[in-house]
Amino acid sequence: MKTLTQRLRRVTTANLWLLAGLLVALLPHLQRIPLIISATAALLLGWRMGHELQYLRLPSWPLRWLLALLAAIIIYGTFHSLVGRQAGVALLILLLGLKLLEMNDQRDFSMACYLGFFLISTVFLFTQSILIGLFMFLATTLLLTALIARYRGPEYVGRGHLSEHASLDKAGLMVLQALPLTILLFVLFPRIPGPLWQLPNDGSSAKTGISDSMSPGMISQLSNDNSIAFRVLFDRAPPPPAQLYWRGPVLTVFDGRTWFNPNHDKPWPKVGRRSRYRALNAPVSYTVTLEPHQQRWLFALDLPAMLPVGSSLSSDYEIIARNNVEQLRRYDMQSYPYYTLAQTEVPPERPYLQLPAGVGPQAHVLARELLAQAGSKAAMVEQVLQFFRQQPFYYTRQPPLLLGDPIDEFLFDSQRGYCEHYAASFVFLMRAAGIPARVVTGYRGGEMNPLSDYFMVRQSDAHAWAEVWLGGKGWQRVDPTTVIPASRIENQLDRLRFSPGSTSLSSLSWTSLAWRQLGFNWDRVNRAWNQWMINYNNRRQQDFLQKIMSRFGFSDIDWQTMLLTLLLFLFVILAVYAWWLLQRSERKRPQDPVQRSYTHYCHKLARSGLARNVAEGAWDFAQRTQQHFPEHGKAIIEIAHLYNRLRYAPWPRQEDVHRLQKAVRHFPGRIKRPQSSQ
Amino acid sequence: MATAPHSIRNFPWRILHWPVQLGLTKLGLGRFFYGQGPEPGPIILTSRRVYILPTRMGLSYALLLLILLLSAINYNNNLTYALSFLLTSIGLLAMLHSYRNLLHLQINIGTPKAVFCGDYAQVPITLENRRQPSSYAISLQIPEQPAATVQIVQQQPLEAAVPMCTTQRGRHAVPRIHISSVFPLGLFRVWAHAQQPRYQLVYPAPDQHPARPHQSNYQASLAGDRGRGADDFAGLRSYHPGDSLRHIHWKAAARSETLYTKEFGGDRCEELWLDWDQLPQLDTEARLSRLTRWVLDASRTQLRYGLRLPGTRIVPSTGPEHQRCCLKALALFNQQPSDPMRP
Repeated sequence: MKTLTQRLRRVTTANLWLLAGLLVALLPHLQRIPLIISATAALLLGWRMGHELQYLRLPSWPLRWLLALLAAIIIYGTFHSLVGRQAGVALLILLLGLKLLEMNDQRDFSMACYLGFFLISTVFLFTQSILIGLFMFLATTLLLTALIARYRGPEYVGRGHLSEHASLDKAGLMVLQALPLTILLFVLFPRIPGPLWQLPNDGSSAKTGISDSMSPGMISQLSNDNSIAFRVLFDRAPPPPAQLYWRGPVLTVFDGRTWFNPNHDKPWPKVGRRSRYRALNAPVSYTVTLEPHQQRWLFALDLPAMLPVGSSLSSDYEIIARNNVEQLRRYDMQSYPYYTLAQTEVPPERPYLQLPAGVGPQAHVLARELLAQAGSKAAMVEQVLQFFRQQPFYYTRQPPLLLGDPIDEFLFDSQRGYCEHYAASFVFLMRAAGIPARVVTGYRGGEMNPLSDYFMVRQSDAHAWAEVWLGGKGWQRVDPTTVIPASRIENQLDRLRFSPGSTSLSSLSWTSLAWRQLGFNWDRVNRAWNQWMINYNNRRQQDFLQKIMSRFGFSDIDWQTMLLTLLLFLFVILAVYAWWLLQRSERKRPQDPVQRSYTHYCHKLARSGLARNVAEGAWDFAQRTQQHFPEHGKAIIEIAHLYNRLRYAPWPRQEDVHRLQKAVRHFPGRIKRPQSSQ
Repeated sequence: MATAPHSIRNFPWRILHWPVQLGLTKLGLGRFFYGQGPEPGPIILTSRRVYILPTRMGLSYALLLLILLLSAINYNNNLTYALSFLLTSIGLLAMLHSYRNLLHLQINIGTPKAVFCGDYAQVPITLENRRQPSSYAISLQIPEQPAATVQIVQQQPLEAAVPMCTTQRGRHAVPRIHISSVFPLGLFRVWAHAQQPRYQLVYPAPDQHPARPHQSNYQASLAGDRGRGADDFAGLRSYHPGDSLRHIHWKAAARSETLYTKEFGGDRCEELWLDWDQLPQLDTEARLSRLTRWVLDASRTQLRYGLRLPGTRIVPSTGPEHQRCCLKALALFNQQPSDPMRP
C-alpha cells in the first residue's frame, strides 16, 4: 500500500492545475445550478482526482457513453430542455466532467482547458460583479498554468529541476504581458450593439426589486435589502430630498388584498396621451444607471420630460422598456420637478374609482365622515392626512400580519404599517370619497455618496405613495407616510429618511458609521467598475474616443478609424514585445555571489585609492591593503580569509557566503586617508 | 517509438515526396521545408531559420476566441469581451514566447558511435542558448524517427542524443535534425532544421546463425610459444622487479640465491582467418553479415584473427582497435567513398 504522500508525489502537476482552475470556474455556478448537476459534476471531478491519486481507473468507452447519456437525461429531466442559459451551462459542466474522464494526450488536455475558458464566460452571463471578475481572472490564470505545465512535458532528458510553480510564474508573466494588449483591445475594438440573434429566454433569473403588484408586506420585505437599485448622477445640483420620488409601476386596481395594473399584463402597454403641462422651471438632467431587475420598469423623477431609447410611456406615466432589464442599463433623463398640468385635462375614467365590493365597510363609513367634515374634495386630502397624523399610527418595518380585511384592520386595529399600508388605505379612502386616486410604487430619496458626486438608491428605499386627481389641478402626488411624526417612526434610519432634522447621524453608533463609510467606498469602486467595465458600450466608446481624439485634432471617429487605430497600436505593442523578448543581447552567465561580493569589495577599495593589480591574489592584496589601512586590518584579513576559503576549500560552506557578503557590506565605501600616512 | 504514426499519417504523400521536394526547392521554399543542407560550423538558430505556424490546437483556440467574441457581442457582455481579448492577447504573446523558445539556440552535432545495422544509433547533439534564460520541451527528431525531448535550464549547455534507426550498412551522412517545440501553450509550432557533415558508420547486422568458421582455417602461430599469456608454462627467466609474486618459482628460490619468474605462453596459439571465400553459397550482404558474426565471436574468445575480403586484407591481431578496423572494412565493403559535403 502506498501512502497518500507517495501517491500525491506522482500526480502530474498539469492535471492538478487544470482541476484547480476548473474548480474555481465552477464555484460561482454552484449556487445557481440544481444540486443534482453539481453532485454529478463533483462525482466526475472526484473520479478524475481519484485516478490521479491512482485509486481509480478511468472508465472504458462504453461506460463513458453510458455516462454521457445519463448526463443528458439528468439535464433534460431537470430543465426539460438542453438549450437555454441554465440548461446550457449544466450541459457544459457535465461535458467538461466527462472530458476529464477521457483525457489522455495533449489534445484532450487542451480541449479541456478551452472548455474551461468557455465555462468562465458562462459565469459572466449571470453576474458581472467586480469580485466575480477578479475570481475568474484567477481561474483563467490557473488554466493557462495548466496548459504551460502540460506542454512543458512530464518527462525530460535534461539537467536541472523546475520548481513546482515555474509554470505558474510563466503564466503570470504572460498574463501581465497580455494586459496592455487586452486593455487596448477592450477600449478600441468596435462595439457592435447586440444581440445578433434572438436569445432564448428561459425566464430563469429571479426578478428583484419592486414588482408589478402590491399587497401588504411586499415592500416592507425590501426594507432590509441594502443592495443598490440604481445610481443617479445629476448634471447640476440635485432637487431637494422632498422631490426625490422615483416613479415606478402605477397600480390602479384593488381586488381586496392586492393592488395591480391590468395594463401590465399586456405585452405592449397602452400608450398614454401625453398630457399638456407647463414647466415651472428648468428641467433637471440626470443619468440613471439601473441594476438589472429582470422587469421592464425604468425609474425617473416626476415628471419625465423625455424618454430613454427603447422605451415608451404608458397612460399612467410609467416608463416601460421594450425588454426586461437583464443587464446594467444606463439612460439619460430629464424631468420637471415643478410643473402644472394644463387646465384642459379631462377627468380620468372609471378604474381610478374602482373598489372591490364588501371590502373595508368601516373605511367607507370613515371616508363619508371625513368628507362631511372637510366639505370639499380638495379639502378631503388634508382631512385624511390629518387623520393619520392625529391617530396613533406607527411607521414600522415589521408590520403585524393582516389576516382579515387589510384596510379596516390596518385603519382601526393595528395602526402599524409600512408605506404600502398608508398608500393603500389612503387611496382607498380617497376612492371611497369619490376622488380618483391610484397607488404609485417606486423609490424615494436616495443617499448621496459623500466620497463622490452621485446618488445611490437602494432597494430599502422602495416606497409607495398615492396620486389623487383633483379637478382643475390634475394628478397630484400625496405621500401619506410623511405625515407620521418622527416620534412614531420606529427605525432610526427611517426617521432619518422621512423627517430629517429629528435625528442626526451622530446618534448612530460609531461602528455603524464606519460601516457606512466602508459601504460608500465600496460602492464608489463598484460604480467605477460599472461605468468603465460593464457599461462600456458602443455609445460610451464613441464618446470616450471622441473626447480623446478631439484633443489630437480629429473631429470624427467611426468604426473603420477605430479598427485601424487598434491594429496600428496592436502592431506597435507587439513589435516592442518582440524586440524585448527576442532580440535580447548575449547575457552573462549568472555570476556567483562570492565573485560579486569580492568585486564589490575591490570597487570600494579602488574608490579609496587602492586598486588591486590584475595578477594580485586575494591574500597578497590583503597584505598590501592592511599596511595602508591598518585601522581596518581585521575586516581586510577576514574578507581575504573568507574569500580564499570559499574559493579553494574542498567543501565551501554556505554560511561563509553570507559572512563574506556581510563583511563587504559593512566595509566603508571610501576610507579617508589619515594625514600622517605620508 | 512514439512517432511511428508519423510515417503512417504521411503515407499517401510519400510517393510524391521526391517530386514535391524538387518542386519546392525550385520555388525557393526548400529551406522552409527541408533545411539548408549540412553546415560545417556550429549552427546558431537565427530568426532567418526558425519557422513558426499555428498547430491544429492553435486553430481550435482561434475558434474558441471567435465563439467567445460572438457570445460577448450577442449578450452585450463586457466581461466576456474582456475574457476574449485577454485570451487573444495571450495567444499573440504565445507566438512570441514559442518563437523565443528556439531562437538563438546553438547547436553542435557530434559524430555518432558506430552501431550494427537494425540498432538505434544515438546522434550526440549539444544545445546551448546564451541569450535566453531557458528553453523547454524541445523535440529533437530525425524525420520519421522517434523524437527526444529536452529542455535547457538556466543557460547550461545540454548534451542529448537523437535516436536514429539504421536499415543499411555503410557510412551514412547523418540526416538533418528537426528541432521543434510547441511550448508554452501548444498553439504554435516552431521548428528549424540543423545538419552538419557528420557520418554514421553502420556495421552489417551480425548473422544470427551460429555457424563456426572451418577448423582448417585455424593455423598454428609461428610465434605462438613465445607469446605471453596465462595458459601454458613456457620456461623460467630471472626476476625483474614488478613481476607477480605468484609467478615466482619459489622452489628454485629455495635452492639458489637468485629469484626466477615462471613464464607462460600465449593462450591460444592459433590464428584464424575469416575469409570471404569461405562462404560461396551466400549473397554479398549475407556473407558480410556472417563475417561480422565471426569477428564478434572471435573477439569474444580472444582469438587472433584476420579478415580477408576481395581487395582487402587485414592481418591477424586482437583487441578492440582491431575489431573496429575489421567491422569498418565490412561496413564499407563495396561502397563509394562519399563526398563529405554532399551526402
